[in-house]
Amino acid sequence: MLNKALTDLLTKMADDELILGHRNSEWTGLGPVMEEDIAFSSMAQDKIGHAWALYNIMEEKQLIGQSADMFAFCRAEKDFKCSHLVELPNAGYDFSLMRHFLFDHAEAIRYESLQDSSFEPLQHLSKKVKGELKYHTLHANAWVMQLGKGGEESYDRMQTALNEIIGLAAGIFEPSKDYEDILIAEKVYPGEKELYTRWLESIYPVLVKSSLNLPDMAGLTPGYGGRQGKHTAYLAPLLKEMGEVFNLDVDANW
Amino acid sequence: MSLDPRVNRLKLGDPTAVIKVEAGENWNVYEVFHQEKRGAHHEHVGCVHAPDPQMALIFAKEQFGRRKKCVNLWVVRSADILAFDSEDEDMFATNMEKTYRDASGFKVMEKINKFKQSKGTTNHVK
Amino acid sequence: MYGGGYIFDEPNNKQLREEKVHDEPEKLAAFEERIARGEKIEPGDWMPTEYRRQLIRLIEQHAHSEIIGALPEGTWITRAPGFKRKLALIAKVQDEIGHGQLLYNAAETLGKTREEMINDLLSGKSKYSNVFNYPAKTWADVTVIGFLIDAAAIVNQVANSKGSYGPYCRALERICYEESFHLKQGQDAFIELATGTPDQKAMLQDALNRWWKPIMHFFGPPDKASLHSEKLMEWKVKMASNDDMRNQFLDTYVPKIWELDMTLPDPALHKNEETGRWEYSDPDWDEFFRVINGGGPCNQERLQVRKWAEEHGRWVRKALMQPTEKHAMPVA
Repeated sequence: MLNKALTDLLTKMADDELILGHRNSEWTGLGPVMEEDIAFSSMAQDKIGHAWALYNIMEEKQLIGQSADMFAFCRAEKDFKCSHLVELPNAGYDFSLMRHFLFDHAEAIRYESLQDSSFEPLQHLSKKVKGELKYHTLHANAWVMQLGKGGEESYDRMQTALNEIIGLAAGIFEPSKDYEDILIAEKVYPGEKELYTRWLESIYPVLVKSSLNLPDMAGLTPGYGGRQGKHTAYLAPLLKEMGEVFNLDVDANW
Repeated sequence: MSLDPRVNRLKLGDPTAVIKVEAGENWNVYEVFHQEKRGAHHEHVGCVHAPDPQMALIFAKEQFGRRKKCVNLWVVRSADILAFDSEDEDMFATNMEKTYRDASGFKVMEKINKFKQSKGTTNHVK
Repeated sequence: MYGGGYIFDEPNNKQLREEKVHDEPEKLAAFEERIARGEKIEPGDWMPTEYRRQLIRLIEQHAHSEIIGALPEGTWITRAPGFKRKLALIAKVQDEIGHGQLLYNAAETLGKTREEMINDLLSGKSKYSNVFNYPAKTWADVTVIGFLIDAAAIVNQVANSKGSYGPYCRALERICYEESFHLKQGQDAFIELATGTPDQKAMLQDALNRWWKPIMHFFGPPDKASLHSEKLMEWKVKMASNDDMRNQFLDTYVPKIWELDMTLPDPALHKNEETGRWEYSDPDWDEFFRVINGGGPCNQERLQVRKWAEEHGRWVRKALMQPTEKHAMPVA
């Protein structure tokens, strides 16, 4: 039972990072200014790297019976557990930066909580990625604060992006019906409800400094479903694209 | 249709459209100094365009600190750097002649050897 | 990655070149002596107008080639097979942008702003390497670009890094270091296909056949057709002739292709053991000039994508502009 719960947790974490890493990597070469292009690309690489590390843990601990590559690039859509937030295609840079801000705070909070995890590989990984995530949130905070105060157009764009995706971002913390209790009891992690509270505490002060308004969270419907394998229409085509070359011949070396 | 699925999602504009970047749109220039390890000097490695020092540091971290070993970075506005004119290089021209400032200007071993030799000739017979 | 030995110059600038701005003869002599002694020129130094103009042109086109060069390979970012290839490809394309950044900075030390250079790229006034006006149709194209175009680029950039202009040499030193990773990851992926399944081999052969002509064009037209390179070589702006660089490339890399049992689509290609030079069929220089002048398969899309990026990034840049700041050029 614990193994199933661990697989569920690691899969959803890894799938989020894989899909968002892909979306963010699409900006490489197309960013608003070269310096930012480079920074954003590095963070996309980090995300894909974290996903790889998580799949590798599952492979090593025999939680999954296949290689990280096969698991990431040959799985059916319904077996993906990513949240809806990461599935959406890139719109403008306002959208991508706001998603980066909301997601990376959530990611940083989650890994921070895993520093005391009873599951040793996660504890180890969380310590390893701590510095990377520190940079990601530093970068995200700086941009959100600058753009929140960067004049009327910029402010409007950022507030609109926040309003549009905050509900989907809350969907990151969709609790898992079957596994939540055991993961908390076994001290693997503190559970989604607790992480959600910490996340709000983490993003709120930055939004205040940016003069952006956090919508009333109680009145929002969080974008749930992804953790149960129910996805937006955008995921299936992306998975097909990601696996296009690999699936020409899964037994070949690429 | 582009061969690049990313490009197909962009909705490209009219190819004949005139797009111009305004002066100053790429912000200001900051020089970047890189410290490879604790105890080492910060060395100049290049520059970044950024709107302010904080963003310059954030950009410098990835453009100049993403590959090799790095423990710290400095940034400073290029406009704040004061340097000599390159024509003034002649002020330094005689440095190498002033051997009294340099270890190589003092031939200690020569003197010792000379002394030993002279001792050898006088005290040699015993 | 880089644009090769060919530096495009507008035909009407020839006149400007011949008129020559009146450079003071004593200063010119001192400048040329300095270069002859093997010393570098730095941004604050006096330099002939023509030296400055040619260097801006060279470095700017090199920079454009990097950011446009990110596009054909970027085509495969979302589809690269497996984690290792995917991460390496994103990192490589990211490096191209990083190289562009370094090179625009080097060119700025000569007095032309980054914004002016970007505008000249978007308007078509300034060119970039022809090779990026060809499409990357399959995954195998990425391996051919990563291995062979980057190898060709290294031949050129190593030569240029010994040139006379300090900021350009420093940028190239860093670029060459990163290019060695590009070449290695390209070669690794190339070998994987060459030694793979029959379908993989066929895919690679097809890509090689399509890319061979642009690769032969990479170093620019034959020496006998290249104008005004004597002065540029004396000033150490141009460090080796087009034919010499092409020969060096063929000498190192053709055997590496042949040893993997891959073929090249030129039956005349061989090394003349007596002269030590490689001989080959005429690679259609008319096509080269047609593509330079906008007639290649991807010219329009490449510029359209760059325009999209500049246009959609504008609000971000403007939001952070500090109108009171006085702009300065990089100091070194």
